[in-house]
Amino acid sequence: MKTTSELTDFYYKTLYPVLTNLEEDRKQLKHRILVIGSGYTLLFLLIIISMKDIILNDMYMFIFIGFAYVGLGAIIYKMLIKDYTAEFKDKVIEPLINELDSNLRYSSTSHVSSNLFRNSKLFTSKIDRMSGNDFVKGKIQEVQIQFSDIHAEKRHKDSKGRESWSTIFQGLFIVAEFNKHFKAQTIVLPDSAQNSFGNIIGTWLQSHNSNRDELVKMDSPEFEKEFVVYSSNQIEARYILTHTLMKRLLVFKKRSKHPVYISFIGESIHMAIEYNKDLFEPSVFRSLLNYKIAMEYVQTLHLAIGIIDELKLNQKLWSKK
Amino acid sequence: MPISLIILGVVAVILVLMYNSLVSKKNQVVNIFASVDTQLKKRYDLIPNLVATVSKYMEHEKSLLTEVTKLRAEANKPNISDEQKIKLDAKVTSALGSIMIAVENYPDLKANENVMHLQGTLNEIEEQISAARRAYNQAVTDYNNALEMIPTNFMATAMNYTKKEVFEIIESERKNINVKELFNS
Repeated sequence: MKTTSELTDFYYKTLYPVLTNLEEDRKQLKHRILVIGSGYTLLFLLIIISMKDIILNDMYMFIFIGFAYVGLGAIIYKMLIKDYTAEFKDKVIEPLINELDSNLRYSSTSHVSSNLFRNSKLFTSKIDRMSGNDFVKGKIQEVQIQFSDIHAEKRHKDSKGRESWSTIFQGLFIVAEFNKHFKAQTIVLPDSAQNSFGNIIGTWLQSHNSNRDELVKMDSPEFEKEFVVYSSNQIEARYILTHTLMKRLLVFKKRSKHPVYISFIGESIHMAIEYNKDLFEPSVFRSLLNYKIAMEYVQTLHLAIGIIDELKLNQKLWSKK
Repeated sequence: MPISLIILGVVAVILVLMYNSLVSKKNQVVNIFASVDTQLKKRYDLIPNLVATVSKYMEHEKSLLTEVTKLRAEANKPNISDEQKIKLDAKVTSALGSIMIAVENYPDLKANENVMHLQGTLNEIEEQISAARRAYNQAVTDYNNALEMIPTNFMATAMNYTKKEVFEIIESERKNINVKELFNS
């Protein structure tokens, strides 16, 4: 697999002509957004001023206008950047992925199937709406892997029947074939209880989590500090989480710099990395040639594909070959 | 009067909870040991086949092979205690390890399909045994903790529970196993 520096070279050298063209588009787009945005805001202000007697006296009307402004603004913004986004994904993200490994297929509009996400059991809340994009799938070193952006949401209804949505998870979701056989379900989550309530109360809370299987205490203090493990089989959990794999997961977590949720179900490893934002989107207000922005695309891709090497998923169990 | 009754009730509930938690910890140890035992048996079953295959080639390691066979016979005896099983396991692990290292010195053996198959199977069973051992050790630690900690220690003494032994984790298990080397050899 290509290293991040090789990929960065590719981004700045091979993609340079494309990037400069896109950069022109971006500047024009930015200008257009600022003009339309100010016009739009001015229009709203005029409406408010002309109807100020009604609006300022009615709290609900005021809130409604506020929501309308943000909602409509978001729709207009999305429409404005649509072509630019499509072009960016076509000409930058897809070549980057092909450069990383030619066996990978990319689709900018689809995502990992919602069933796979639900069956990963990483999140216990009921998922009412799911969206995503930037789907990558392929076979690297004989290991099946797929990943995409995922946004899973939950619907809430208040006493007046008004609907609102809250995010369950937003970030990168990766599914890869695991190198060992197993039947039980093992789930590894960020250790929030032990961190916020201390060891004794935290462990007690974890072992009384009715949504989850039995708590498995692992024999690695560093791993226990970062993660909590639930499994339907104490022994299989340890069969999967060997000392070596625990170490590799810790390294991976450190590298990702974001909370990592992992589950081992049905011969696959599922990983959800919580970025709380849509990834692989073009930047509009900052230059595409900005090093930080380039690195973000490169590193995220490298992290996702890198799990095969990093967790040694290619070193298959002898009977799995 | 009712107050003393309430206190009595609360004390009774606490005692029952303590009793139950101790029993469940003990049973957890017994349950997991049963799984360890199954895995160990699987490995013992491989030994005759292994010995039969390698003995034709290995002239200098005859004593190693007799030792493994002897250990297997001992492990198969009925009525041996858990502690004895734990000790036998440690011996078998080290003896099998030595045999596998010795195999490296015989190019014919290394290329033998039967040996390769045995090596692969053995390696997988070893991983399962290692997982079972770690699960057992955790269960024993929980149990031993309850035996020493207040207030369950009083109850445990009354119930005649005694501390149990853990498996010693062999240092090589903590190391990074190079699977590629094992399989490509």
